[in-house]
Amino acid sequence: MFLKASNPPPIGTAVRIDLTLPTESMVVLTGVVAEHVGPGGLDGRGPGVDIKLNTIPESALWLIESALASAAKPGTAPPPPATEAAVDDGQDLQAAESELIIALTSEFESLRKLNPFQVLGVGYEAGDADIRAAFAELTKRYHPDRFARYTSQELRGLAAEIFILIRDAYRRLDNDAGRAKALQAIGARPAVKVPTLRTPPSGEPALAPSPPPPPPPPRAPIGSPPPPVIRTSTPPPPSSAVAPTVARGPDTERKPMQVAPPPIADDTKVDFRAADGLLDAGRYDEALAVFKIYARKHPADRTARAGIELAEGLRALAQRDRLEAAQRFEAVLELDPTNERAARELADMRRMATNERRGLLSRLMGKKE
Amino acid sequence: MASRIIGIDLGTTNSCVAVIDDRGTVRVLASPEGERTTPSVVAWPANGGDVIVGTPARRQAVTNSAHTVFGAKRLVGRKVNSDDVTALARTSPFRVVAAANGDAWVRIGSAGRSPQEIASYVLRRLRAIAESALGEPVTRAIVTVPAYFDEHQRQATRDAGTIAGLDVVRILNEPTAAALAYGAHRVTEQRRLIAVFDLGGGTFDISIMSVEHGIFEVLSTGGDSALGGEDWDRRMVERMADEIFDKTRIDLMQNPVALGRLREACETAKKALSVERETWLRLPFLAQDQDGQPFNLERRITRDDVEAWTAIELARLDEPCRRALADARLTAADLEEVLLVGGMTRWPAVPATVERIFGKKPSKGANPDEVVALGAAAYAGILGGDDEGAALLDVTPHDIGIKVGETGFSVLIARNSMLPVRVRKLFATTSPDQKFVSIELYQGEHADIRKNRRLGQVTLDGLPPGPAGSVRVELNLTIDVESIMSITARELSTGKEAGVTLRPTGGLTQREIVEIISRRREEESAARPGDGGLARLPTRDLPPIKPRGD
Repeated sequence: MFLKASNPPPIGTAVRIDLTLPTESMVVLTGVVAEHVGPGGLDGRGPGVDIKLNTIPESALWLIESALASAAKPGTAPPPPATEAAVDDGQDLQAAESELIIALTSEFESLRKLNPFQVLGVGYEAGDADIRAAFAELTKRYHPDRFARYTSQELRGLAAEIFILIRDAYRRLDNDAGRAKALQAIGARPAVKVPTLRTPPSGEPALAPSPPPPPPPPRAPIGSPPPPVIRTSTPPPPSSAVAPTVARGPDTERKPMQVAPPPIADDTKVDFRAADGLLDAGRYDEALAVFKIYARKHPADRTARAGIELAEGLRALAQRDRLEAAQRFEAVLELDPTNERAARELADMRRMATNERRGLLSRLMGKKE
Repeated sequence: MASRIIGIDLGTTNSCVAVIDDRGTVRVLASPEGERTTPSVVAWPANGGDVIVGTPARRQAVTNSAHTVFGAKRLVGRKVNSDDVTALARTSPFRVVAAANGDAWVRIGSAGRSPQEIASYVLRRLRAIAESALGEPVTRAIVTVPAYFDEHQRQATRDAGTIAGLDVVRILNEPTAAALAYGAHRVTEQRRLIAVFDLGGGTFDISIMSVEHGIFEVLSTGGDSALGGEDWDRRMVERMADEIFDKTRIDLMQNPVALGRLREACETAKKALSVERETWLRLPFLAQDQDGQPFNLERRITRDDVEAWTAIELARLDEPCRRALADARLTAADLEEVLLVGGMTRWPAVPATVERIFGKKPSKGANPDEVVALGAAAYAGILGGDDEGAALLDVTPHDIGIKVGETGFSVLIARNSMLPVRVRKLFATTSPDQKFVSIELYQGEHADIRKNRRLGQVTLDGLPPGPAGSVRVELNLTIDVESIMSITARELSTGKEAGVTLRPTGGLTQREIVEIISRRREEESAARPGDGGLARLPTRDLPPIKPRGD
């Protein structure tokens, strides 16, 4: 890609671009300066640099796609009634099919990143019957036969890919030995996780702090979506110590995130359980505060940061802001791939979205409901 | 809305058509004459008149036995020199001949007719029955086949549909269809493990399935695509013919008319013996001896006789059942129910054998002749989106693998793998500076590849030079829910790729199919009455043929 620069950095300089999407989420792109473009070069756009981008991570692609999808639909308004009016239009049918393809593609991409439990949307404590029931449920939604009445070959192929993922997860978990192996691979601690998920929010947890005023969300609330802003600090002085945006390697910037979380002390478990209780009770702001206080004390702890994202996500969901919620849940999984709750919420949302799209398709196809 | 999809059970002896009606219930469509099943019999009258299908064809069989074809399903997609076809040809009143490609065809007059074409007459008749019962044009169908059919037989069945002007949207396995029909009205949340034992006129299938939450999952299938009621008939015919030859030196095998009458009488006797302990075979003036004296067959025949003559057939039921159980990693005790499907399960020795194998009394459905068609219609509901509470998970019936060395067979996708399925495998070159690699795909269970059936091949050339084993090729094989296979081969260092979508041939080329259709169209445009009582239906253009295999 081409970037304007009056004082171009040497070829080979690593570049980082923070791309703010209309949905307020930020995507980080990295690359290197590949070529200098003189003034007047390239249709008079120069002077500047041509940047060769590194492979964009799937998570970023998913964010961009969902931003595009939301930009296509004005805001998060209720499904436009226009779809009802255009029932007999073949073009709309095609549009609906391609929308379904987009939905399935992003589902496939996000399913691919999940562990088998998350794919099936079951807890780590699930038994044979739970696993089979979850598989049955997903099969009824995603088996390629479900999409047989659509003409698009791509659509059916996608459904097959998704179904194969689901089936492989099922095959890995449909027996005790397989489940034990999968749990080991994930490094999950079901003993800690299970009670927090199953505990009903009975009264006020003892360790919950007094409810603070709802803190402002870390990112600006969603208003009218601004156009994407490319914030870039190229060209910075090369090899300068004060240029945090110039990465020394493609992954340097990401490194701090990959530091393993410190062993969590016992009191933190209690803390999070309390916060989980608050989440269950629907008191998202309070839970958020708990997570934030802890995160401030232990900035490296991913579980706390995941908690913040989870609380934000649930709050967004409560406010029917599904896009925001989805991004938050995605962020949770990025921080803590074993977080069942985020995986489950995400799976539910995906199913709902697919159902809505299929409902739309069914109407377009003139199928009797 | 797209047109309705009908469900067709294309049987060896009888066929049946069913549909989901507007209230969402599946029902069998009866012919204008009130018949719920149609004999799979096609006849070319001696006087050169129009082709006759169904009961009228069966009625005239005795006087026109050489040109009356029954059981064409047993020839579909098969080579003339296979053992089963040879055995069948020996006692069939019509002539089985070899087509140019070695396929088994039937000689009618001076011309050879493919079993696909013969089956297409039955399908066309069923289509006409559906159209007259529904009062609307029908162009799409789900056609059932034995689970044990290989890809060639499946494709041949599709081709028969194409010739009959039907878009065969899916080929469905008969036991799966039967289970769907049985299960449709007894959905439970509890997991049930069942076996479907399907012994029809010409094929035997056993499927082990799990039914739960509306999901019909086939765990394993097995069977014998050349074992069925007609083998019992054939044994009886052979036995009678031998007896007559020993006594009178009359060789009925040289007399198609007599053989046809004897076969018909044996089938009737077999049906009678399913209920009675004994019956009589009475065929006056069956043949003439050397002196020109008429020979009258009059013989008492008991159920025990027939059971003794067919002990070999009965014994052939055992092994597929045991293998299917083993493939499903189950024992007979795990099964909750064994369902009987197919007309031949009325023969008392068959349920007794089933009980011996599985250790429990099998259950019979209301009507073993209709249940498969009803299941096919129910499946149409799933595909059409009308039924969202059920799904079918079927499997590949045979091992699929590649040729290694001269005759070796390396399995890539084991039989009973759930569809859709995908495998990846890495190969290394076997000689230095190998220029190309050719991967041949086969289907079957034999370690010797020559006994398996070839599906197709993919060739990747332009490999980079290097010592043997240094160049690696990744093979990707997928089979989708419609049993369509795609293979790609990719050289890893250059990324060079070659791929094909395999549509195994059913024996007829696209050109031959088109020729048959246009010939048929000419016949239809010369509208005439008397075609099974349905010729007065409006004729319409056949749908265009979709190119395939590209």
